[in-house]
Amino acid sequence: MESDERISRLLRLKRYEQPSPEYFENFLAEFQLRQRAEVIHRPFWKIAWDRLAPIFVIPPVPRLVTVGSFAAAVIATTLTLNWSDTSSMTQKAIDKKSSIAKKSVRSGKKSGSIQYVLPEKPVTYASSRSF
Amino acid sequence: METLETPENELVARTQAGDARAFDELIVRLSPRLYGLVYNMTSSHEDTNDLLQEIFAKAYRSIKTFQGKSAFYTWMHSIAVNMTLNFLKKRNRNRTMSLDDVDNGILNDPDFIEATSNGDPSREANLVELQKKLNESMMKLSHEHRAVVTMFDIQGMPHAEIAKILKISEGTVRSRLFYAHRQLQNHLQEFMKE
Repeated sequence: MESDERISRLLRLKRYEQPSPEYFENFLAEFQLRQRAEVIHRPFWKIAWDRLAPIFVIPPVPRLVTVGSFAAAVIATTLTLNWSDTSSMTQKAIDKKSSIAKKSVRSGKKSGSIQYVLPEKPVTYASSRSF
Repeated sequence: METLETPENELVARTQAGDARAFDELIVRLSPRLYGLVYNMTSSHEDTNDLLQEIFAKAYRSIKTFQGKSAFYTWMHSIAVNMTLNFLKKRNRNRTMSLDDVDNGILNDPDFIEATSNGDPSREANLVELQKKLNESMMKLSHEHRAVVTMFDIQGMPHAEIAKILKISEGTVRSRLFYAHRQLQNHLQEFMKE
């Protein structure tokens, strides 16, 4: 890419735009002055925080681990809730079944043994023959 | 003052242990390069000076969080680029360079004259014009494109290093460079002719 090379060559000229060496000598002195001024004018709590903050630095956790642990927590919570729901439903179902069974047992006791109904007329349309 | 042979990581370790003089040495070593980075992104000596002071102050405050996973130089560049981008977003105006901002010493620099004139007196006369046009063209780029051009074309950093500093892929670095170069070509047509 010839045009790219030409552009790069032109831009390289900007490397020469640097202040004089005295500027960099003064820069350090200015930095030290500013640092001292900052210490004098800084609220005590900020200085204390700056000193203490690195002690409590939490090591950076990869994003995938964070997301993964969150997902695991959600799944675990959902499963726990579902399990407790299911177990209560199962318990209800068991209770219901046993109550039905109890009812039927009770009704069985009341009625006694199987009864045969003998109507007055037999269930037939055939004419009765009499001799 | 430290000797130049003291390794950078040793100076960092000493700063982390509370030796402020070691950090002074790091400032001396890194400030010219970081100055170039910030200046070419802001195009103002005054803003660059203030920003560079803040950058070193921030680095000093948070140096204990530097774990040595990357080079200290890369870490410092990340702080510098992020703080400059934030500053530019706040400033949010395109500042055109005034000639007062141009370092006059450069015009007497033999390397610069040799690089630009090729012995042609008419081009020598255009040095100031070229410098002004270069700065104007740079300021027309978006902040992100300007950051990439500054690091690659002006500071000569490799794509991989820029990608690390900006926390983007190498492909994004290349594509930003491509579009920035196209834009710069349009603005610098007259100086592109051989």
